[in-house]
Amino acid sequence: MPISNAAFVRSTIILLIAGMIALLGIVGTSLLLGSKVQAYFAELIEIRATRSAAADLLSTLKDAETGQRGFVITGEAGFRAPYDDALKAVSERQKSLAEKAARFPEYAARIPTIDRLIADKLGELADTVTAIQEGRSSDAVAQVKTDRGRILMDQLRDQLGNIMDDADRRLQEGVVDMLWSAGALRWTTIIGAIAIIGVMGGAATVVAQYTRDIVVARREVETLNATLERRVDERTEELIRANQEVQRFAYIVTHDLRAPLVNIMGFTSELQASLSSIQNYVLADGKAPSEADILEARRAASEDLPEAIGFIRSSTKKMDGLINAILKISRDGRRELRIERVDLKALVEGGAAAVNHQVSESDGEVTIDGNLPTVISDRLSLEQVFGNLFDNAIKYQSPGRPLRVSVSARNGGRAGFVIEFTDNGRGIAPEDHERVFELFRRSGTQDKPGEGIGLAHVRSLMRNLGGDIVIRSELGQGATFVLRLPPDLSKVVRSMQA
Amino acid sequence: MNGLGKEVTIVMIEDDEGHARLIEKNIRRAGVHNEVVPFTNGTEALDFVLGKDRSGLASAGRFLLILLDLNLPDMSGIDILQKIKTNTHTKRLPVVILTTTDDEREIQRCYDLGANVYITKPVEYESFAHAIRQLGLFFSVIQIPETQ
Repeated sequence: MPISNAAFVRSTIILLIAGMIALLGIVGTSLLLGSKVQAYFAELIEIRATRSAAADLLSTLKDAETGQRGFVITGEAGFRAPYDDALKAVSERQKSLAEKAARFPEYAARIPTIDRLIADKLGELADTVTAIQEGRSSDAVAQVKTDRGRILMDQLRDQLGNIMDDADRRLQEGVVDMLWSAGALRWTTIIGAIAIIGVMGGAATVVAQYTRDIVVARREVETLNATLERRVDERTEELIRANQEVQRFAYIVTHDLRAPLVNIMGFTSELQASLSSIQNYVLADGKAPSEADILEARRAASEDLPEAIGFIRSSTKKMDGLINAILKISRDGRRELRIERVDLKALVEGGAAAVNHQVSESDGEVTIDGNLPTVISDRLSLEQVFGNLFDNAIKYQSPGRPLRVSVSARNGGRAGFVIEFTDNGRGIAPEDHERVFELFRRSGTQDKPGEGIGLAHVRSLMRNLGGDIVIRSELGQGATFVLRLPPDLSKVVRSMQA
Repeated sequence: MNGLGKEVTIVMIEDDEGHARLIEKNIRRAGVHNEVVPFTNGTEALDFVLGKDRSGLASAGRFLLILLDLNLPDMSGIDILQKIKTNTHTKRLPVVILTTTDDEREIQRCYDLGANVYITKPVEYESFAHAIRQLGLFFSVIQIPETQ
């Protein structure tokens, strides 16, 4: 079933909305993940800076200690240089670390401790260096020996090392997070791409389906148009045929009714002529009628009058008969058809049985094909059709030739069933093939009684059943009546009403 | 009435007895006393005019006037007219069509096929007499007897 316009619009809109949502989702997720990556990256940079600040500070402190140690051991000013340099840089480094750690509360919390430890360490270093300068090297050594400097340094190493370790850990984590985000971003893009392809595919399918439906619908319309034209042609042909038939019928009826009327008119004037001669004799009023008058009057009374009256009477009788025949055909045409299943084989066998006596009288034989179909039609009409055909076959059999009648059927496709009724009788000349189906018309030698109604009746019955009857014959060669019958009369009736 | 000294036979092909009787009466009233040979169907009439073998030789040298009803039981009068008018031996025989209809196309058709006079029934005595006399004239003037 083709999808309707509304359904097409609805599904297209749904697909468009789905596609839009998918795109928005992808864009949103991408932005989110992008900004997250940026944030991670910024944090990583800061952590790295903090770590390097811590490392720098530690190494500066180590430099200071190294310088102090060298100076204490050697007492030479040259060894003091690293100490002096470190001393100059240390506060700078301290400030740098403090700044960078300020963003991380857990690091910032350590800064006071570190500051205090640095102050103590620098104090211890300064004490020893001052002692050496003043020549109190034993004091300085004693000072170093107290191990306070080493402990302070260890503590500082701990504190700064902690910061560096923590920063390392965070860097590690940050990288993992970033990788995860990058992965998520990739997956989002892939999923989004799949979603878009899906939506596009769906839209393409809907459009293709719709287009296909339109093509199918158009083809249907075209087929309908084509069959419509054919049906119109068929109907027109039928109408033309029916019209010609009506005209032909009117012609025959008026012609045939006029023939007895001509007799009535002609013999009425003959009557009048005879009447005047009788009047001459009867109404002579005393004068003796002449010899010729008497003779004429006698002839009129004995011959002309009875003849004229006889013809007038036979003509009126003939007219009456014609009118009755026309009425019968007209009544049959108007009879309500009773549509039912009719087994043609049984029906034709019944028709053959009815004439069995006459057939066997002339040593004849009737062959009925086993394949006669069952149709849905009017039984009475078909009985009359085959009854008439059997009667004709017997009536017009060739003298001296045993009668052979065969009835067979085949499927004529669109034409319906084609039933052939063949006899070996005297046949009908080709120029009379149409004539025999006309009312009151007969063919060949008029040696059999009949009014020329049978085949006209058969044809009108067959046409009432949606079929037709034609003849194939040569004079003296027998005749084949070809009947066309639709398999289902109810369909014919329906299509007529449609 | 005669054709070049030979008696003309009137062939009347008319299936309706009453019509045949009326026509004969009118012929007689018109003062024509030639022999009238009546036929009530086409087959017998053609047997007479064209012979059983339909060769037309039967009518060679005969002088016939044919009165033809178009409406016959066994064949159409038009067919008879055509057969007579296409046969070399009979094509010059005058044919009077007698019919009950005055259908113009039919009249035209008959004249096309060679009918000489077309008369619509009921036959008026006057017109019939006139036509017969005319044909009598026809006979003596136009008919060229066959050499046989």
